[in-house]
Amino acid sequence: MNSQSFGSKYLTMRREKLEHGLYQAKRNAACYLFLAPYAILFFTFFILPICNSILYSFTYYNILEAPRFVGMQNYINLILQDEVFLTAVKNTFVIAVITGPAGYILSFLFAWFINELPRWIRTIAVIVFYAPSIAANAFTIFATIFRGDAYGWFNSILMEYGIIDAPILWLLDPKYMMTILIVVILWMSMGTGFLSFIAGFQSIDNSMYEAGYVDGVRNRWQELYHITLPSMKPMLLFGAVMSITSAFNVCDVPRMLCGYPSTDYAARTVVTHLFDYGFSRFEMGYASAIATLLFLVMILCKKAISALLGRVGS
Amino acid sequence: MSEENTARSSGSLKINGERKKHQGTLVAGEKGAAFYLQKQQDPFVEWQYDQMVQMESVRVSETALEVTVVLQDATKYVFNLRQGHSVYSHMDKHWTSKPVRSYTRADELRRLAELRGERIQRPKHHLIRRRHPNRSIAGDLGIYLMLIIVGILMVFPLVFMIGSSLKPLDELFRFPPPVLPQHPTFDNFSDLLVTMRQSWVPFSRYLTNTVFITAIGTFGHLVIASMAAFVLAKYNFPGGKMFFGVVTTCLMFSGYVTGIPNYLILSRLGMVDTYWALILPAFAAPIGLFLMKQFMEGLPTALIEAASLDGAGLFRIFWTIVMPNVKPAWLTMMIFSVQGLWNASASTVIYSEAKKTLVYALQQIQAGGIARTGQVAAANVVIIAVPILIFVFNQSRILETMASSGIKD
Repeated sequence: MNSQSFGSKYLTMRREKLEHGLYQAKRNAACYLFLAPYAILFFTFFILPICNSILYSFTYYNILEAPRFVGMQNYINLILQDEVFLTAVKNTFVIAVITGPAGYILSFLFAWFINELPRWIRTIAVIVFYAPSIAANAFTIFATIFRGDAYGWFNSILMEYGIIDAPILWLLDPKYMMTILIVVILWMSMGTGFLSFIAGFQSIDNSMYEAGYVDGVRNRWQELYHITLPSMKPMLLFGAVMSITSAFNVCDVPRMLCGYPSTDYAARTVVTHLFDYGFSRFEMGYASAIATLLFLVMILCKKAISALLGRVGS
Repeated sequence: MSEENTARSSGSLKINGERKKHQGTLVAGEKGAAFYLQKQQDPFVEWQYDQMVQMESVRVSETALEVTVVLQDATKYVFNLRQGHSVYSHMDKHWTSKPVRSYTRADELRRLAELRGERIQRPKHHLIRRRHPNRSIAGDLGIYLMLIIVGILMVFPLVFMIGSSLKPLDELFRFPPPVLPQHPTFDNFSDLLVTMRQSWVPFSRYLTNTVFITAIGTFGHLVIASMAAFVLAKYNFPGGKMFFGVVTTCLMFSGYVTGIPNYLILSRLGMVDTYWALILPAFAAPIGLFLMKQFMEGLPTALIEAASLDGAGLFRIFWTIVMPNVKPAWLTMMIFSVQGLWNASASTVIYSEAKKTLVYALQQIQAGGIARTGQVAAANVVIIAVPILIFVFNQSRILETMASSGIKD
């Protein structure tokens, strides 16, 4: 091999590398072009508001005057002086701890059970379970069901059977509020995650189950753990994110059912507290501090859950 | 025969009724099948599916299968395959024009006994049968029972609501209140129309507003978010992963949390009190992008690579190859977008009566208090009917597309 041919070979190689690089750059540019419309809108309507929120949380801001920097004052007031906020945190925590995991597990279990049904019943079952969460305002019917007078359905049933003598103010009495809220939220918890699970179950290749059967998968639980769960990981994470969202963002349900504000703030959640300061009192800086704390807790929760899901089925 | 999309199964082969059994592996591919002897590179026998005249499979035991193949030149292969189910269904799938018979060992023995003229013992017929060898009957029954009970609990409030909307006034305030109306009437709905007519703007205007917002918002969201999802799912470019991570995180933040800063931005853009205040944020809804990207990752990369080798541009690949193949995902995306936009009351960004959405108008009626209990129920039925109907319609399409799309990587 003489030096000239080696040189030309080297040149060809360089040219090919250059061409490849050019191709890569061109393709990247096309990718950014595809991403741009979404990215611009997303930045404007999601990132910017969140960043603004974080910035405002260090200021006193009532919309009319320009924001005034107050340092950590909002956070200090929030944690040390605002007793209602502590009630709200406690309530949100109780709701999130109960309805978050329970809603998630129930969504998965029922999606799995429904998937075992014959096709035509499956369609009906999916609609029945998903209807409460797609019908956004439907939960207001619980105000009629749990109405405090004798015409409320639940009261009248209990009185009919002699369990109680006088109607109970279910939605106004702090003793019962949280229980009813949790029931209603659980009723609405077969939401987006549930739908994603249903779709996920159907996209699993049947031959995987056949192979599993040959390899000695004895019952449905083994099948679930060794075959179904590992192939559902993307949907599982999605469902988890969705249940964190609904567990922490509870706002409409207590506001519409238990009144706003509720008796003794017994049904106040972090988001209703935020709503109160942001939309009624226009203390934007304070509301932003609440929002920022909420962001933090939710992000931590998501981190923990994705770490947990990483170990499923392995 | 290409190595892609093949199913293999080990077993033995007998040719034309010979007694000798050849041990080896049967490999079934897209167009044809071949039998390889042990440790041999070249196929021992090989055929295309269109050469087959007849194919029968007898299930010998739970995991073994006897497949008989007769070719056009009258050669007859009898395979005894272990775990041969996928091989069999593979041949079956690609050989659709001709009848395939499949029966079990018991059927075969019964047929032979019948030929010999013996008395046949029919197996006992059970009322309830196992659906699958690894599913217990008790478990199945438990699941059905639970689904029925929970299903009734789930649907009860909705039934109660529809019932209330059909109740005449005296039944709304009767003790004990009936779940279903005894004398159903549509009075509440007509009262609702009367109340709506008394407002400044005709009912149809609210409806048009909502339909317009929902239609434009959903269509734009579908196109814009799918384009972004496509490049995020299928190409590696700097910043892509990070961007998707941010979108996933934003999935968790509800509208209330970002409400006020969002309003300030909209007012700076001059979009307050226009439809765009609702439509533009809906274009960028993180949930659609997230969902689409998750589904597109399941698309075989080979499909896209083949198209790029043919010289197709990014947009052509996206529009003619990727989009038709992710129909289930974009139907699901539509449901979420429609659900969000239809239920949007937008009370913070729209003030003019003529631009208000249906839900906002109906909420104003709901504020009328206890005297309007029946009308409120009627209004609620109107609000929930549309998303549920759209879901019912799309859900059957999703199941359909899922079953026939057949793209499984």
